[in-house]
Amino acid sequence: MKITRRKLAAAVAASVTAPLLAQAPAPRTPDQELQAARDRMKSNGDKLAAQSVPMSTEPAFQFRA
Amino acid sequence: MAVSEDLFFATIPELNVMLTRLEISAVELTRAFTARLERLGPRYNALALPLTPQAIRKAEEVEKDIKRARLRGPLQGIPYGAKDLLSYANQPTTWGAKPYAGQVFDYNATVVDKLDSVGAILTGKLAMIELAGGGGYRFASASLTGPCLNPWDRTCWAGGSSSGSAAAVAAGLVTYAIGSETSGSIVTPASFCGVTGLRPTYGLVSRHGAMALSWTLDKLGPIAHTAEDCGLVLQAIAGKDSRDPGSAGKSFYYTPQYARPVNEIKVGYAPVDFTERADPDARAAFATALGVLKDAGLQLVETRLPNFPYGPMLSAILAAEEASVFEDLITSGGVNQLADALQIAGLKAAIELPARNYMRAMRLRRLAQQEFSRVFAEVDMLLTFGEEGGALKVDYALDTPPPAPPPPEPIGFQGIVPAGNLAGLPALVLPCGFAGHLPVALQLAGAPYSENTLLAVGRAFQSRTDWHKRRPPGV
Repeated sequence: MKITRRKLAAAVAASVTAPLLAQAPAPRTPDQELQAARDRMKSNGDKLAAQSVPMSTEPAFQFRA
Repeated sequence: MAVSEDLFFATIPELNVMLTRLEISAVELTRAFTARLERLGPRYNALALPLTPQAIRKAEEVEKDIKRARLRGPLQGIPYGAKDLLSYANQPTTWGAKPYAGQVFDYNATVVDKLDSVGAILTGKLAMIELAGGGGYRFASASLTGPCLNPWDRTCWAGGSSSGSAAAVAAGLVTYAIGSETSGSIVTPASFCGVTGLRPTYGLVSRHGAMALSWTLDKLGPIAHTAEDCGLVLQAIAGKDSRDPGSAGKSFYYTPQYARPVNEIKVGYAPVDFTERADPDARAAFATALGVLKDAGLQLVETRLPNFPYGPMLSAILAAEEASVFEDLITSGGVNQLADALQIAGLKAAIELPARNYMRAMRLRRLAQQEFSRVFAEVDMLLTFGEEGGALKVDYALDTPPPAPPPPEPIGFQGIVPAGNLAGLPALVLPCGFAGHLPVALQLAGAPYSENTLLAVGRAFQSRTDWHKRRPPGV
């Protein structure tokens, strides 16, 4: 399947924005923008929830006393 | 004294030889670079703050040192620029964002102090995407200084978020620059601008005095003309810093003399990246570049990336951490002063992120790190492109919907930028040709603290090619 950058702009855009970008047409009012951002966050959360994580797995940050 | 245009594109060792042989003085060099930065920086919206008087004063000190043979290493007397998220005492540090336009710190970032101690000369602060783009952004104009224009074509974007750092090096306004990366902010602008960029291992370079966006993801690194220059700069800025809780407590010594022969280095790659994922007009350049690496003796073997939802993982971690960093900005409404509507909404939404999403992402991140350890038991580094093709048009909407849904499973090394940042891996970007008139680049990502190996491959590639020597037209 031929996938180019322009076709996948939302998925592979040039920065930290990449995972936050939508595949839906860009909304324009502030309320619509916020709702779209919430929807993206919800969608990302669903993708994380679909992954299984062993109970023994600790998060990847460290605390040093 | 008239200064040759070649000086503006000279490497650090080349300038070091001229300075130590007194063929040019540090003051002459600094005057030439500061004049050029002030004249051409605005042409690309690359300059956030000129520091000419301070640079000249520093150059006068350095010149005396050099004349007395008080030599402090290869960076002494050489001008550089710093992304405007690094504090420089008593001068504005805007983070590229209107709400912080008047912000002034009374101390220097650690990297600025470290470079100062070896005689480097800071000539200006360089433009960036507002708040390093943490909330997401739709347009290149998401910056206090306007869209940063690409020196290769001013109708195109320089990339973000270390936009000014890459554009300034490409246009010969500084010899090197310090940028930052949370996820892609060195890799992308270096690729788009045709310069060499090094994202160091997480924790290797202190972030004290740098804007925090994501404590567990942020890194500082050099953008320069060559891999060797990146190694020399990294040596100067790396090291333990008790003021950065993320500091790994490790130093870095650039040691090309001890580098492994490249024919012993095994490189994992996915051919589909270069034959299908790359833009059609970039594929010939990538094919030629792969041939150069093979001719150099590198062992290229097909590899797969560990399969994780890197984008959502990075998104959750970034959202949680940036929302905490910028909580006051968001809750006070100051966030509405930002330039980009997507950025504003992204930050507002981020503050609502459920804690369980952050924790799950951080636990998946641990698993991904473990999987990358397995990958690097098989290969020494991973190879793909920096970007699929040349720079995007400056008015291109980064959230333009794709005409077709993305494939259910990632192909090739898709996701390597968030993956590499999640795992804290170093990456090196090497210009490798052109798509039309715009530069394209390779990206090498290695195991933590494998910078010397990455740089050895970079040197080998750049000794066989001259893409890193090419200059944009008309600069």
